[in-house]
Amino acid sequence: MAIDDLARTVDEAARTATEITQLAESHSLTVDEAYAIQALSMRQRFERGEKLIGMKMGLTSRAKMQQMGVSDVIWGRLTDAMRVEDGDAIEFEKFVHPRVEPEIAFILKRPLEGRVTLLEAMNAIEAVAPAMEIIDSRYRNFKFSLPDVIADNSSSSAFVLGPWNSPSTDISNLGMAMQINGRAVQIGSSAAILGHPGRSLAAASRLVAASGLRLEAGWIIMAGGATAAEKLLPGMAVRLDVERIGRTAFSVSSRAA
Amino acid sequence: MTDDNAIADAATALRDAYGGSFITPLRERLGTNDPVTAYAIQEHNTKHWIAEGRRLIGRKIGATSAAVQNMLGLDQPDYGMLFADMSYSDGEIIPVDKVQQPKVEGEVAFAIGQDLDSDQLTIADILASIDYAVAAIEIVGSRIENWNIKILDTIADNASAGLFVLGSQPRRLADFDPVLCGMVIEKGGEPISTGAGMACLGNPLTATLWLAKKMVEVGRPLKKGDLVMSGALGPLAAISAGDSIELRISGLGSVRAHF
Repeated sequence: MAIDDLARTVDEAARTATEITQLAESHSLTVDEAYAIQALSMRQRFERGEKLIGMKMGLTSRAKMQQMGVSDVIWGRLTDAMRVEDGDAIEFEKFVHPRVEPEIAFILKRPLEGRVTLLEAMNAIEAVAPAMEIIDSRYRNFKFSLPDVIADNSSSSAFVLGPWNSPSTDISNLGMAMQINGRAVQIGSSAAILGHPGRSLAAASRLVAASGLRLEAGWIIMAGGATAAEKLLPGMAVRLDVERIGRTAFSVSSRAA
Repeated sequence: MTDDNAIADAATALRDAYGGSFITPLRERLGTNDPVTAYAIQEHNTKHWIAEGRRLIGRKIGATSAAVQNMLGLDQPDYGMLFADMSYSDGEIIPVDKVQQPKVEGEVAFAIGQDLDSDQLTIADILASIDYAVAAIEIVGSRIENWNIKILDTIADNASAGLFVLGSQPRRLADFDPVLCGMVIEKGGEPISTGAGMACLGNPLTATLWLAKKMVEVGRPLKKGDLVMSGALGPLAAISAGDSIELRISGLGSVRAHF
């Protein structure tokens, strides 16, 4: 099967919230081929009218790497259709088996291209926000190889942002507490994101360059999960509190309810 | 309740194991996992050590996370005794062979500024009693082979206490957020444990109130000048000789230890 066909397969799975078997079970894919599939599948979304508004980083914490059994940082594309307003509900049926993780998000005031230092990355930030990412692998049982997850837009499916804060905020070690229905389910620190979330931004700039891209001014960059992800179910109210920079929340509704 | 001879024997076995040997789980020898027996063993050794001349300077709170309580089969935290010879200061070389099977955790330590001897203590008493908070590395250890511990083993074994390292930037309670303060321990620049204040029983001050009440109940109330190691803000991390680590708690600065 050609790269084009695999791209259509993952796009269709995401569009219809239908699980699929791993591509790697029947195809031997390199990481570069996986990013090519991601680019082609996301092109289908852009042709349907979605807009590219940023990037997400994945597998950036020890907890996350352990949970997924891999060790590479990966990235995916964010579109305007993935954005959930702070406090809104997501509809469970629009996902296959969604999970949520606490993150830090950046909005950029100027582009970042290729290899940059942590200082250069931090200087390109317009503002920082508490954020949660709703990840949803389209693969059966949330099981996948590294090329699989990359081809599937690194499991990206939705995200919610809290208030924007000054870029001078020290984000190196912010306490993060994610609660579901009032009970703390994940507690961590932004330091779990590659030791400093800014390193994830620098890594994003470096990694997207391999696909001929740069991070653009106005883009949102999700730095990656600070803890393990939590499974989402209808009826859940999810809230993240981040030290000093505020909170963000969403709930999960169901068509059946 | 286990008889006095069995308690004395268990206490002696634990003290002897500090030399570097290990013992098999006490719950198996004693045929009980009862916390009352466990604290009787701990108290036996506390009295022994105080009589030997060790200076009691405070308490540690253990099992403050739901994960650890589940592992041990507990529904509340536990406590142990802190002696002056366990204390190290920021950046010192820690003789790691003093602690068996060492692991580190990041905590908030509180210095108590007034006696907490009422039998009806409230959180307001705790808020009013704290002189300062400081970041602290606790180096826990276990005299039980392979950390094969349940409630009785860890409580009898002084709540798996080892050594601790206090930071050098004491802060007032108003200067940091006890609930949402971020915590990271780095080894060689990489995070090996991350967490936040809420991981300690929801709030390190709540844990401290639990301890203060417990200490009144058992007749060793917290006194002015006592130190409280309030419990881990994140997972334990194993360390070995040659390691250098740094703990940072947001608002409380940093503390380093070299092993």
